Amino acid sequence: MPFQEARREMSEIKTKYVGARVSRVDAQDKVTGNAVYGFDVDLPGMLYGAVLRSPVPHAGIIEIDTSEAIRAPEVRAVVTGKEFPFTFGGAVKDQPFLAIDRVRYVGEPVAAVAAETELAAYEALKKIRVRYDPWLAVFDPREAVKEGALLIHPDLGQYRRGGHDVVPGTNICTIRTYKLGDVDAGFAEADEIFEDEFSTHAVSHTTLEPHCAVAQYFPLKGKYTLWSSTDRPYIMVRELADALGISPSHIRHVVPYVGGSFGGKNTLIAEAVAIALARFTKGRPVKVVFSRQEALTATQVRVAAFMKLKTGVKRDGRFTARKAEVIWDSGAYVSNASGVAIRGSYTVFGPYRIPNIELISRLVYTNKEISGSYRGYGTTQVTWACESQMDIIARKLGIDPLEIRLKNGYVEGDRYINGQVLHSVGLQETLKKASAEIGWGQASRQPSTIKHRGKGIAVTLKGTPTPTSSTCFIKVNQDADVTVICTVPETGGGQRTIISQVAADAIGVPLASVSVTNPDTLITPYNDAVAGSRSTYHMGNCVLMAAQDVRRKILDLAGEVLQIDPSRLTLSEGKIFEQGGGERLTLKALLSQRFGPTGMEILGEAHFDPSHSALLAANPALKGLDSRMSSIFWMFATHAAEVEVDTETGVVKVLRIVAAHDVGRAINPVTCEQQIEGSVLMGLSNTLFEEFKMEKGRILNDSLSDYKVVTTLDMPEMTPIIVESTHAEGPFGAKGVGEPAAAATAPAIANAIFDAVGIRIKDLPITPEKVLAALKEKEGRG
Amino acid sequence: MVEISARRKDNVKVTVDLKVNGEHHQAEVEPQTTLLEFLRESLHLTGTKEGCGRGDCGTCTVLVEGHPVNSCLMLAVDANGRQVTTIEGLAKDGTLHPLQQSFIEHGAVQCGFCSPAMILSAKALLDKDPTAGEEEVKRALSGLLCRCGSYKKIIESVLAVSGSEKGNVRDKN
Repeated sequence: MPFQEARREMSEIKTKYVGARVSRVDAQDKVTGNAVYGFDVDLPGMLYGAVLRSPVPHAGIIEIDTSEAIRAPEVRAVVTGKEFPFTFGGAVKDQPFLAIDRVRYVGEPVAAVAAETELAAYEALKKIRVRYDPWLAVFDPREAVKEGALLIHPDLGQYRRGGHDVVPGTNICTIRTYKLGDVDAGFAEADEIFEDEFSTHAVSHTTLEPHCAVAQYFPLKGKYTLWSSTDRPYIMVRELADALGISPSHIRHVVPYVGGSFGGKNTLIAEAVAIALARFTKGRPVKVVFSRQEALTATQVRVAAFMKLKTGVKRDGRFTARKAEVIWDSGAYVSNASGVAIRGSYTVFGPYRIPNIELISRLVYTNKEISGSYRGYGTTQVTWACESQMDIIARKLGIDPLEIRLKNGYVEGDRYINGQVLHSVGLQETLKKASAEIGWGQASRQPSTIKHRGKGIAVTLKGTPTPTSSTCFIKVNQDADVTVICTVPETGGGQRTIISQVAADAIGVPLASVSVTNPDTLITPYNDAVAGSRSTYHMGNCVLMAAQDVRRKILDLAGEVLQIDPSRLTLSEGKIFEQGGGERLTLKALLSQRFGPTGMEILGEAHFDPSHSALLAANPALKGLDSRMSSIFWMFATHAAEVEVDTETGVVKVLRIVAAHDVGRAINPVTCEQQIEGSVLMGLSNTLFEEFKMEKGRILNDSLSDYKVVTTLDMPEMTPIIVESTHAEGPFGAKGVGEPAAAATAPAIANAIFDAVGIRIKDLPITPEKVLAALKEKEGRG
Repeated sequence: MVEISARRKDNVKVTVDLKVNGEHHQAEVEPQTTLLEFLRESLHLTGTKEGCGRGDCGTCTVLVEGHPVNSCLMLAVDANGRQVTTIEGLAKDGTLHPLQQSFIEHGAVQCGFCSPAMILSAKALLDKDPTAGEEEVKRALSGLLCRCGSYKKIIESVLAVSGSEKGNVRDKN
């Protein structure tokens, strides 16, 4: 059914589940221990894999001697980059499955073993001898970006890559510049110019389920099957097929429940090792589960960023220009950090009307753990800079931080930096509701002369990967059970619940009769990924269309059986009603009566891709603009924080966070709250507690006792507020919520600290040491 | 770089005899087998998860004689003669335990990897202190990590089951 037609019918649907606080459909599996995660996959004849990792940050590999390891008890395969010399990478094909002639970070996989037991595999690792030729290393991207810096990838220019620019002969593996208007003229026009530098650090996703994969190779067919915890199976299959030079149809990827992702499980990580080993185990499956140490030090981290902002403003707080320079720390490989450096950078201009802008964004290799996508996809980093500087500007100009945001913030119909006309803009409402809830303008109660309290506010905007597509099937069996067949990993975000709610209402069946499949690329049709808050919108629309296809078929069938014009029939809660005639028969009765003993199922299908939406048009009158910068929807949020700063210890206690999010329409308010509360805690944890301690490229705090994440005892009072701006093309008006949620938390906290004690922390994380140093410096200034 | 403690494999087996979820189990295990490995690999009770293998995250929590323990740190032989409860043992006769039901109703489950440990720890608390209030619940669960950040709804779920008069999440302001 065409999208526009589906939308017309949608308006007639009487919703019972959409918008309701429905319990999650995956919850019972999860509270009983019945849920099977990637971690739980267990196959007959399965071997266990272990990885030997580089102990040095940068070195040539002179020799790897595996002869003793392969003879060790119970060992079935030992693999190095010599036997499996493939490289992968969707943006830049720069990453070997196992190091080939050099290592580029501490923790890089150098060799792998498959054995009958995990213990035997780890014991065999000790028998592998590697001779390294240690080289100088570079850890700071601000050094690595300089001309003459040592090159981490001398062959950068030869790598195959996607459609973005690199600078061969340097460590710059993504570069993006962008201009709108004339910044020099804008600065000339300004009453005040602010120049500030900010930075954000690398943090770990710390999914509680570690990275894990099971791979099996079928030697005669040359095919692989992969079971793993990931949020984007189809993209991973494409990446793998491309790396191995085989057809994507030769790789089947099954995704059980995922024990958390947050962007950290969307490329080949444990999968790369499992695939390499499986190629050599004569058809026996191989399971690879990373230890927590490996998950922290040798998977992926959030891209650290160094940001310089120069912003011109008029005395009344209106912007005249902003110039932004961002250096992103890619770590040893590009992975999916190039997208962060491109799409993430654009939001450094905030959700504000700025007439003249200029951006230079560079992603730079360093000899460190690989950086990649992390909840927010770059927005979190640049929002830290944008919203911290916004506070600096407001304070200097003597304008209320809330007022300056209301004055400059996007409203419906404003144009994004590429000229896209913005629709479904709830920013102002999030500002008003969050500030009212936190008691903005009322001074915090001051508990003592040592402990000071203050309030801060920050906003963010976030787009979604556009255009991307989703496909699904729906089948209804003759018992009237509904299965939505689609490739949406349930990563914890409640994706399966949202799909079930949309399907139940759009078909007209009870929620309890709806199931959603696990992704299995042999069976479930193409979907881009669970990423960038795209699932509710894209798969929601897709399911809506397939459901209406199914419903129409059911009503046609009912019309035939009942000898009534189908346009007089409706389906609701699994019962067929006639206009003015009441209930005629149940869906189950209809299907069993019609198909009886021969068996038959009703099938629906749909494909959704927003690329033809008029909402995406960039402004053609502006030169150098690109509709690819458009997003099919934009999410907006305001976080308001109240903190207490202990001026003797430097400890910051977050007392309250109010988080108002414009989600378009909440399909399920409970899952929206889960996303908001979870992000606030993740944001708070990233901001105050989490930091890697490095020494010569080695991460020292490689356990959860030393890498601190937030616990129940650190939890502030949290108030999630849902704002519904209703998107004209979203399923029932919905947009998304998961990704942008953490971005505004850090600057809201930092701005509250300034309000409390008058110090400005510009480099994350905010540690007691930094707070004390800043307090001391402030005192010194008198 | 990965240092797995040097566990000797010398074919010594020891017998363990314990009750898991009310059922009697006798098995031969290697002396170094952890309770977690025994539950997951020998008894196939995979509802107990592993998040770090060294007692930092609490994900592998089970109840031994009603007390929450990190099953990754306890040897199977040390559970000899004891009663162990895992998440699979909570629902009785097809009915969910009130805490399981409450977690579902209050939206306390996201990715769910920590849910079994959270529920078992909460059960141990409420068995000991049926009227536990917010502070007690927070403290009892403070050794368990939830990266989805469900803490608020988890605490609400436990308080809804607790008979405490303090059992409402208090508005502190």
